[in-house]
Amino acid sequence: MPLVVAAIPFGLVVGLAITESGIGSFIGWTGAPIIFAGAAHLTLVTLLGTGTAVVAAVSAALVINARHMMYSAALAPTFQKQPRWFRWLGPYALLDQMFAIVILRKDDDPDDFRTYYLAAAATFFTFWNIIVALGLLIGPVVPATWQLGFAIPVMFVGIVVMSIDRYPKVVAAIVGAAASYLFAGLPNRAGLLVGALVGIIAGVLADQRSET
Amino acid sequence: MTAFLAVLAVGVGTFLSRSIFILALADRTIPPRVIRALEFVGPAVLSALVVALMVDDSGAVAVGAPEAAALAAGGLAGWKWRNLIYVVAAGMTVFWVMRVWF
Repeated sequence: MPLVVAAIPFGLVVGLAITESGIGSFIGWTGAPIIFAGAAHLTLVTLLGTGTAVVAAVSAALVINARHMMYSAALAPTFQKQPRWFRWLGPYALLDQMFAIVILRKDDDPDDFRTYYLAAAATFFTFWNIIVALGLLIGPVVPATWQLGFAIPVMFVGIVVMSIDRYPKVVAAIVGAAASYLFAGLPNRAGLLVGALVGIIAGVLADQRSET
Repeated sequence: MTAFLAVLAVGVGTFLSRSIFILALADRTIPPRVIRALEFVGPAVLSALVVALMVDDSGAVAVGAPEAAALAAGGLAGWKWRNLIYVVAAGMTVFWVMRVWF
């Protein structure tokens, strides 16, 4: 439950970003059930709103979600003991918060694990879709001078800081930001992807160095 | 329509990245180096994204002191409290207060 509460500002900001992007409320909202991932959804609608080429916006959103492969790998042994339908349905709801709670139960009895997972997933699914819709309603009501849209980058900075648990991640974040700035003049905002890639490489190199 | 296709594409891609190892590679081992590299995706992409949002199309910085101070405040709040609600509250408060002066 605390994790659902923590998702509230995120969902509201996603809804807000949709109203600001001008891509249409309903189409923007469909991302809540279809993508079901806050950071990627937020990135997609924000970039589409700034006139980024669609391919670049989609790529950026997908690159952000590449971290979910890590969750998939970590839970693969647990899911081996599950029925086929659940192996297909389960990953759909593998959000950051889901991973954080289900990884603690990965060695539970398979039936218990499945029940727990489905209950948590249903909770997140329900709340998430409602919260994003609430954000859509709030967006147009708030005066434009408040510039609530600035909550988007603020939130991203917070997520980066909260994800840092060892020094190579600091390197990845700082180098990623610096490279993104250096290449910011590239057409279609491709500098974002170049920056991300350079940042990841820098993180991996720093990681190897810190091990030896 | 294009926007909806973009949403669909990201939806499919997200499902693939969440399911790839659970569905396809369940009985293979994944090189630990790959897993470790994935850890850096989040910090690198999101910080690159923040910078991308703060510049205009020509690559020049398009924001001033209130924005910079707000991002710093959000970062500090995240570091101290590890809670997104505090991050947004701190960042936006600083942003609004600073804008009165600048």
